[in-house]
Amino acid sequence: MTANDPHRLRRVVVACVLMLGFVGVLCRLFTLQVLQAAELTARADRQHRKTVTVEGSRGGIYDRQGKVLAINMDVPSVFGVPASLENPSGVARDLARVLHVKADEIERKLRQERSFVWIARKLDPEQGRSLEGLSLEGIGTVMEGRRFYPKGPLLAHVLGFSGMDGQGLEGIERRYDSFLRGEKQLVVLQRDALGRTVFPKGLNEQAPSPGRSVVLTIDEVIQYIAEKELDEAVAATRAKGGVAVVMEPRTGAVLALAISPKFDPNAVRAVSPDRWRNRALTDAYEPGSTMKVFIAAAALEEKVMDPGTLIHGENGQMTVAGTVIHDHEKSGWITFSQVIQKSSNIGAAKTAMALGEERVHRYIRAFGFGEKSDIDLPGEAAGLVKETKHWGRRSLASMAIGQEIGVTALQLVTAVSAVANGGWLMKPYVVSEVHDGKGQAVVQNGPQVRRRPISVETAKTLTGILEGVVTNGTGGKAAVPGYRVAGKTGTAQKIDPQTGAYSPTLFVGSFTGFVPAEDPRLAIVVIIDEPHAEAWGGVVAAPVFRRIAEQALPYLGVSSRAPVKLAMAMGPEEAP
Amino acid sequence: MKTVAFAVVMVLLLLYVWERVDIVRVGYQVERLKSKKVALQRESDELRVKVSALTAPERIAHAAADKLGMMPPGQGQIVLVRVETTLPTNAGPAMPELRLAKNEVGGRMP
Repeated sequence: MTANDPHRLRRVVVACVLMLGFVGVLCRLFTLQVLQAAELTARADRQHRKTVTVEGSRGGIYDRQGKVLAINMDVPSVFGVPASLENPSGVARDLARVLHVKADEIERKLRQERSFVWIARKLDPEQGRSLEGLSLEGIGTVMEGRRFYPKGPLLAHVLGFSGMDGQGLEGIERRYDSFLRGEKQLVVLQRDALGRTVFPKGLNEQAPSPGRSVVLTIDEVIQYIAEKELDEAVAATRAKGGVAVVMEPRTGAVLALAISPKFDPNAVRAVSPDRWRNRALTDAYEPGSTMKVFIAAAALEEKVMDPGTLIHGENGQMTVAGTVIHDHEKSGWITFSQVIQKSSNIGAAKTAMALGEERVHRYIRAFGFGEKSDIDLPGEAAGLVKETKHWGRRSLASMAIGQEIGVTALQLVTAVSAVANGGWLMKPYVVSEVHDGKGQAVVQNGPQVRRRPISVETAKTLTGILEGVVTNGTGGKAAVPGYRVAGKTGTAQKIDPQTGAYSPTLFVGSFTGFVPAEDPRLAIVVIIDEPHAEAWGGVVAAPVFRRIAEQALPYLGVSSRAPVKLAMAMGPEEAP
Repeated sequence: MKTVAFAVVMVLLLLYVWERVDIVRVGYQVERLKSKKVALQRESDELRVKVSALTAPERIAHAAADKLGMMPPGQGQIVLVRVETTLPTNAGPAMPELRLAKNEVGGRMP
């Protein structure tokens, strides 16, 4: 290169341009790498990493035999991106065929000026597979956990149901929600340029734990028997509804809890919320003559009466505090046993008067009336037992015949269980165990004694009297062939909401008892609300008791009174 | 000597690059297997729901009565056999273990 080099200027210009270019690149590099480093690093992280909240699946609910009653399953939910749709009406028509929803409704959603719209959530798996076949542009699916109740309406009032976001709203689903819910966990995913997940940040990261499983004391088969028989009775008597509760008297474990009418927890919105109520716990009613069982228990325990004590029946009519108490059967001198067996109102009223206010109130409370039993289900009512200072002149007689008192079906079956098991008032329960995914028990419920209202001798004597109700009294239709049954009928007038007085046409018929009387395995209460035509508990409720017992007892392997006996030698290792 | 050192450095570099590429490849494989596991889990859950629905007592009762012509056993058709045995002396208690409810400590106990 010389001073006269004709290309010198050109080279200098090119060098300067290149220099300027490099300076520009360096400046840009400095800006990106130093000045905007933090912001750009964060943006790159956002593009390559994705943090998602993962929730373990909700735990299942099982009956005492391990049969599935509620289970979670991942199902597709469909969403649309309206901005990327060219032909919303065509897409809506295609979707409507699969989703069984009106096309107009879907089209209205797809024409909204939004970047994301839900079209249908938590579909059936079959619908999801049909949608995959359509592969529509602008329409996508995500998987969400959906609660399934495979047995439909069976045990719906105990199971309850969970909401769209998996939270328990009623029944066991609500009471045990904290156990059933799966663990929530944040997971960081690495994504490639195409948005595909490469792998989680740490390969050793554990998946979130699923919710715990709840095992009930309910037996699916006994529950089915109770529901079937109750529904048939409610339909046959054209009643407003009914309740049947089956309890194991020795433990307080609930084997079945049936409410009529039923609902399907898979489609809760199809019925009014009023139908969801577990009436066995929430609704208190005047029990009528079934209350005589507990007045009799008090009288026997306090030795005010014995089975042979004679009481005059006043020929079916007695005036108390200016009001008349009637018996449906006129009688003269009858024994205390006959008072219960014939369900004499006058005899029961006289028994209560012999006991006095304080003792009647004390025993009614001791049998658990007027207080919550603390069962592990939500919404339990305490019922109504007035303090003696609020009693009127007729209250003592009214209490004896099951008026001026409000009890729940659960309280009634728990109290009659105390007579059945020799005097122990047990705490009722429906959940026997909660266990984690490895089968390790987290919660274990067993029999719990609340108190002992009567002695074993009183319980035995009373059982004998209650057997007479079925063999010689008002409860003949509760007799189960081959088994000894003890129980009591009840027919209570309802208060007419219009007049505020007892209605001459609205009744509640009930039967409560236990079987076999000599070694009770089942305590059952059956309540039929507002039956038409005949309303007597012995006519509408006692047959339901019999049909439940005669099917449930052989199922449980309970021998009838005259079983075939086989003598057999057995070694200690074979003993049951 | 220099050539050997250069070759060793190059081999190490290639090994490093190969390792990184392989990690990504295994990552994709893990993701594919995880997706497969999720799909199988969903299928298993779906089958459990189906089994549970098909074994519902109401469905079985209807199938037994309508399809097979079965009916509930009548009185005397069930004979329960009680096996009388000489139990060993250490036989367990007949009653289950009882506990006192927490809220009833003041209750009347024998």
